[in-house]
Amino acid sequence: MTCNEIKELTVPYLELDLEPPRVRDVTTHLNGCAGCRAEMEAVRQVLVRVKGMAVPDPGDRFWTEFPEKVRRGLARERPTGRSVGNATWMPRWPLALAASLLLVVGAWSLKGLLDRGLVPPGQSVTQGTITADLPSLGDADWEAYWEDDPDTVLVEMATQLDRQTMDRLLADI
Amino acid sequence: MNAGGMAASDYQLLDRYATGDESAFEELVTRHQKTVYDLAYRMLGNHADAADLAQKTFVQAFLHHRSFKRESSFRTWLYQICLNQCRNALRDRARLAHEDVDELALAAPQDTFAEAAKSELRDRLGQAIRTLPARQREALVLRVYHNHAFADIGVIMSCSEGTAKANYHHAVDKLRRVLMAGEG
Repeated sequence: MTCNEIKELTVPYLELDLEPPRVRDVTTHLNGCAGCRAEMEAVRQVLVRVKGMAVPDPGDRFWTEFPEKVRRGLARERPTGRSVGNATWMPRWPLALAASLLLVVGAWSLKGLLDRGLVPPGQSVTQGTITADLPSLGDADWEAYWEDDPDTVLVEMATQLDRQTMDRLLADI
Repeated sequence: MNAGGMAASDYQLLDRYATGDESAFEELVTRHQKTVYDLAYRMLGNHADAADLAQKTFVQAFLHHRSFKRESSFRTWLYQICLNQCRNALRDRARLAHEDVDELALAAPQDTFAEAAKSELRDRLGQAIRTLPARQREALVLRVYHNHAFADIGVIMSCSEGTAKANYHHAVDKLRRVLMAGEG
């Protein structure tokens, strides 16, 4: 074997990670080569010294308290909603509530405008210019239209409510 | 311990944890905390970072325990999580210091070339280990300190057994050069 080949086998030789015939070959070479013996000894010294490097023990208290620290860390990380994959699931009801409130307030404002006479007399919401863009729908069409544009449908429904109903709705909110 | 006096396996403890058994959680952490801390310390080099990373490792393990496929031991899975966290921490550290971890190897030991006292040599060796490229350090730590076979190291590091061996050999070779330079 050449010195270069021995160099490649130094670590496996010291790690007892070679087949017996290869161990014999390496040993034979080492017996006759001072340079490779020195190299082998250097690597052995590295392993001995590296292995001798201890990790300081942080102490019993650290180990006793460690599971509780993990438990607290886990509580912090665990999402309040359910976890779906990597995304955190958030409950949707706050968004739904906020959207509903906006719609009701919008409808209330619209009704306020109407009450102050901004709509020309004689033109009702459903007949006048304000509703020009709103479709006149039969009951059978409500569901289909709701799918396409629920916001407009809600506004349309709200504008048809009378003052008493609106007041009751706002009081409930 | 179960009623028969036999210690429950990690898998059994995980099953119990999944049903809300808090004592199983405690037992799993206690069983593996020293191993995980040791690995983190040897990768990061100080107590504060090691303690923080060991905690994160367990938190991630318990958060995602349902995705653990049990194709390896729980300990091996912890090793994998821990090393992933270590790689991230080392990357962040290198970014903060504007240093490339891979380029640092051997730089510090050569700066202190003239010092030959044993304690300094030990410091140098420790510094050299800390500045090894992450993959080489992982292979070295798992082999020398945790006595894993190279096949296991390959599983933990998500590479082949041959790559694990090569990383280990490169690490030892670099440390040998440090040692020889120090003893000039």
